[in-house]
Amino acid sequence: MEHSIIRVENLSVCYHADKRGSRAVNNVSFCLDRGGSLGIIGESGSGKTSLAMAMMGLFKKPTRVDGQVYYENTDLNRLSERERNLYRWAKMAIVFQNSLDVLNPVLTVDEQILECLRRHTPLPPREADKKVLRLLKLVGLEAKWSQYYPHQLSGGMRQRVLIAMALSCDPEVLIVDEPTTALDAAAKDEMIKLLARLHKEKKFALIVISHEMQVITRLAGRVMVMYGGYMAEAGLTKDVLKNPMHTYTRGLIHASPSANPYRDLWGIPGEEAGNSSEGCPFYNRCNQKVSDCKTKLPRLAYVGIERRVACNRGGIVTLLTGENIYKSFSFRGKTVKVCDNCRMAIRSGEIVVLIGASGSGKTTLASILAGTLAADRGEVLFEGEKVKGNRAACRKNGIQMVFQDPFTAVNEHLTVRQAVAEPLDILKQGTKEDRIQQVKQALKDVQLPGDDGFISRKCHSLSGGQRQRVALARSLVMEPKLLIADEISSMLDPSTQANILRLLKGLQNAKGFAMLYITHDLALARKIADRVYVMQQGSLIEHGSVPDVLSKQGDGVAALH
Amino acid sequence: MRKRMLAKISEYLMTLLVIITLNFFIPRLMPGDPFTFLSSDEGQVTVTYSEEQIAKYKAYYGLDKPILVQYTSYISNLLRGNIGYSIYYNDHVSTIIGKRIRWTISIVIAAIVISSLTGIVLGSLSAWNRNGVLDKGLYTLMMTLSEIPAFLIGIGFLFILAAKLGWFPLAGGMKSFANYSSFADRIMDILHHAFLPVLTLSVVRLGEFYLLARNSMISVLTKDYMRTARAKGLGKMRIIFRHGLKNAMLPIVTRVFLSLGALFGGAILVENVFHYPGVGRLMREAVMVRDYVLVQGIFLLVAITVLTMNLIADIIYRRLDPRVS
Repeated sequence: MEHSIIRVENLSVCYHADKRGSRAVNNVSFCLDRGGSLGIIGESGSGKTSLAMAMMGLFKKPTRVDGQVYYENTDLNRLSERERNLYRWAKMAIVFQNSLDVLNPVLTVDEQILECLRRHTPLPPREADKKVLRLLKLVGLEAKWSQYYPHQLSGGMRQRVLIAMALSCDPEVLIVDEPTTALDAAAKDEMIKLLARLHKEKKFALIVISHEMQVITRLAGRVMVMYGGYMAEAGLTKDVLKNPMHTYTRGLIHASPSANPYRDLWGIPGEEAGNSSEGCPFYNRCNQKVSDCKTKLPRLAYVGIERRVACNRGGIVTLLTGENIYKSFSFRGKTVKVCDNCRMAIRSGEIVVLIGASGSGKTTLASILAGTLAADRGEVLFEGEKVKGNRAACRKNGIQMVFQDPFTAVNEHLTVRQAVAEPLDILKQGTKEDRIQQVKQALKDVQLPGDDGFISRKCHSLSGGQRQRVALARSLVMEPKLLIADEISSMLDPSTQANILRLLKGLQNAKGFAMLYITHDLALARKIADRVYVMQQGSLIEHGSVPDVLSKQGDGVAALH
Repeated sequence: MRKRMLAKISEYLMTLLVIITLNFFIPRLMPGDPFTFLSSDEGQVTVTYSEEQIAKYKAYYGLDKPILVQYTSYISNLLRGNIGYSIYYNDHVSTIIGKRIRWTISIVIAAIVISSLTGIVLGSLSAWNRNGVLDKGLYTLMMTLSEIPAFLIGIGFLFILAAKLGWFPLAGGMKSFANYSSFADRIMDILHHAFLPVLTLSVVRLGEFYLLARNSMISVLTKDYMRTARAKGLGKMRIIFRHGLKNAMLPIVTRVFLSLGALFGGAILVENVFHYPGVGRLMREAVMVRDYVLVQGIFLLVAITVLTMNLIADIIYRRLDPRVS
């Protein structure tokens, strides 16, 4: 702690504190070393800018700021406005989010930079004039722009002027708020490069606020994820992005185009809950919430080295683990090893793709994981419980499986209602009317008509795509936490396949279940997978994120290409 | 830029022509004519002219000609810079107005300076302490003031400060037949006489400037650049004046010039209340005796003043706000 330049402790911001105001920042604490860098990421309204404003001490009544902001060992929040002015800009400067009004429209660029120098440095006028030009050069602007008014500059130039202005008094700490908003892709890239270069040259401690993943990854060594004014997760940027521990962080990553060059983008469903102080702020949108989460506010706790997460369940939980699974089949005295020491872990809410050539043992492994097939050796745990027989499949919130062939997977003599309601009927869930309602809802979810005419049709009268969707609806009525989809689209034509996949991914995103998707199609894996396992002749030979695994040049992967 | 300026100026010239035309016709729509009242003062026994005399005078002043002929000769005279010869005062209109205009100009300018400066200071104070006691008090006071008509305020001051307390003279621009011992004495006397008219005019305009300054400052205070200025750790004075007021001033400055025109109108009322020897009172006199030529002259002056002020406001705004070019 001794060498940290800025230390924020339990900082809270409450707007309109006089009349039951809303809290924009809640007990945020962090520290930053001299010359270090910290990214703050979160959706808009997550309190990032409020945090920066509070650090600069820019709030006035009726906004209340609690907690401490230490610069070296001085608590800035205890200083008078006059004393604090000695720290502003001279020690800690901010680059505000670029807007037309962020610079004073009636003053020239020159005057706006010069006034900082006059206020905080003892430079004689001539030196100060020179310094303004040096600063402009530093951020890549020609000297002539100093005489211009803000409205005569482009958005990118204004951003540069803001940076030059912020660096004018050589601050030790620089806060940069959304440095790339309103910039086109090329300008964005340049801006990030410029900030990276300045950070390296000037050695200030950098705090970057952004909702853009690529800004954070390229500028910040550590990252803090904010949600609803709370810190959701904090850690080294690389670790956090590679292996998010909070469901919110994962959602952000999935929504980021730069982190997902191949995949479809999916936002985090749902809206932030109202401003209740009880419970987890992410409760409404979390896919692994338990009843506790509604009442218990999670504390930011260490879950690893340099890694903290605020989750009642200690971060994203592992739903299913398969340990050392062996399976072989004997046929006429010949033994074929189908699963050889397979290990697999599936975390809640993620899509794991198991990829491999036909006959590599994918379906066998999946059946063992689902409990429909017993392994020779090894064990499968679902939410900490052993998976045995249909124990995990015959209950709500368990494991459900959808199979490759829609024609054999659904009994063609049953009506749609019977087929979909079958698990409910077996479990005797609710009244008959309830069940029909659930069936209709499930059919609606899979985009099939839910009218009485349709549900009383026999399954044999349906097309392959419809029957596959009926099978899907049958799984969904059980509200599974894990859905195992075994080549569910391979027997469908490309268009129906695309529809089913988008439907499935949409449902997965909205309902938040985890999915094990089995396929031999590499392009498909790239499109949907969070993680991928590669199976070859009964062994899982590779696993990891899609770009990592697919870039490896192993034989097994090469064979898939 | 130049093209736009030219367009602007021709726009103003067109407006002026319309005003001159109205200016010519409106006095002639009033009942009566100059000769009914030529030799009589208000309240005195009216000495009337005979039919013959009236016809003679009408012919002398060209009033017997068709109205369109009169109009064209009026315009051509104007173009030659001749605004006419007063029927009642028997003198050139320009000379008569010239003698009176300085009185009006001085009280109008004094009033605008006082009311705008006070309004800006009070308005800024109000905005800075928004919703505080000071703001609420000032706001109520100003709203009330701005609703009272000018002549009522004038009469109020006249009753209390001049008639009851005797602090200020009741009427006139300076003492009649006074022998001043020094130049300073003379100035003091003039200021003494001007005080109430100026005060009245200032009070009348104050509310407007106050409200404008307050609103303008309030909206400026919420702007991002004010936050930037505070983040830069600048002094409070620099933040308020250099960053705040410079932006807030834009609408205020234009309003100052626009008000100058309106204030001339206000001056007519106030000068009559205080019997002040300015153009305002002159106009009333001219209207009373149907001195078309003089009325036209005064209207023309007021119209030109208002238009010029509008033009200046336009130009100044361009100068002040770098965004308008």
